[in-house]
Amino acid sequence: MMKQQKPLTKEQYLKKFSRAVRWRLPPQESEEAIADYRELIFQPERDESRLVEELGEPVQAAHLLTDVKAYRRWLKIFAVLAFGLFLLAKWAWMGHSSFYFSFADQWWYPVWVMAVGLALSLYWFRRYGQKNGPLSKRLVLALVVVLAFGAGTMAWNWYVFDSSFLDSYVERYPLIIPWQVILQRELIINGGMICALIALAGLILAKCYDRRWLALYTLAVTVAAVCGFIIFFCRSIDIGYAVRSSAQSYLFARLIPIGAAGLIGTGVALC
Amino acid sequence: MLKKDLLELCLLQLLAGGDKYGYEVLAPLRTAFPDTQESAIYALLRGLGKSGLTSWYMAPGGGGPDRKYYRLTPEGRARLEELRADWRNMRDAIASFGVE
Repeated sequence: MMKQQKPLTKEQYLKKFSRAVRWRLPPQESEEAIADYRELIFQPERDESRLVEELGEPVQAAHLLTDVKAYRRWLKIFAVLAFGLFLLAKWAWMGHSSFYFSFADQWWYPVWVMAVGLALSLYWFRRYGQKNGPLSKRLVLALVVVLAFGAGTMAWNWYVFDSSFLDSYVERYPLIIPWQVILQRELIINGGMICALIALAGLILAKCYDRRWLALYTLAVTVAAVCGFIIFFCRSIDIGYAVRSSAQSYLFARLIPIGAAGLIGTGVALC
Repeated sequence: MLKKDLLELCLLQLLAGGDKYGYEVLAPLRTAFPDTQESAIYALLRGLGKSGLTSWYMAPGGGGPDRKYYRLTPEGRARLEELRADWRNMRDAIASFGVE
């Protein structure tokens, strides 16, 4: 029994085809194929009601143009990178948990995910990705927003981990949790999850439109890793006097190199 | 000869008759091979371009936007001769069995 084909308008067909082909082919090749299909679809002789019958399903049409080996290689890379982002989001979400204990070596888990993500994505996109036209203004705007959020989060944590603030916090705890700590907690939990999602969007846009969108992935994954690092740090420390006096310097001696590595990765992705 | 080779032969033969834009190539082939969708023929046409058997250029199309015209390259002509020879051999082989 033949599967009933859905009637599609010319615009709908082209939209579905464009989406499928951008995901499967390198940017320049996909733009060429989309231009060719636009010409084929919008021929005056073309009967819209027979579009799918004549051209085939849009996804099937994209599949026929796909270099299967290269596409499978991309899917494997994407699965690894997306799993890393899932872990970062999960660790950020764990900040809500009431179980307040973790081991010191766990602080580095988000950084390992970030390191693998940066190395793998930069290698793949610099080898197989393509630039497509001038630098997108949306990309610049997105980078500025993520950078501002990352810098703001770092600055707020600098303030919260200051020994004088921690001393005053301990005096009042557990009766009152200062609003500064609540804000810090919300920033790193929600920021970590949102940045993991932004990184995923950057990855997809880098594949579909222009490899320079990878800069959004690298920057967002760095901020998500920084948030994860702080979450694990907060969950493991016992705020004794010795920790209060050195927490800020200890934490930032590690966060600054992580942030710098992410910024270098972002610069490389933009080049 | 596989069906793909037959399609390739017909496609190259069409282009041997002069430069053509995409729809001009795809529509007659779909009519001749009704169980083959245009997307499959387009994929073949694209593959020929990648192999250097065809090239393309943009030119004004009848009052509308510019169209992409495909032309045969010298390599394409050589490949057409090769496929023609294969086709003749196959036709003779089949005829030797009494198939009309």
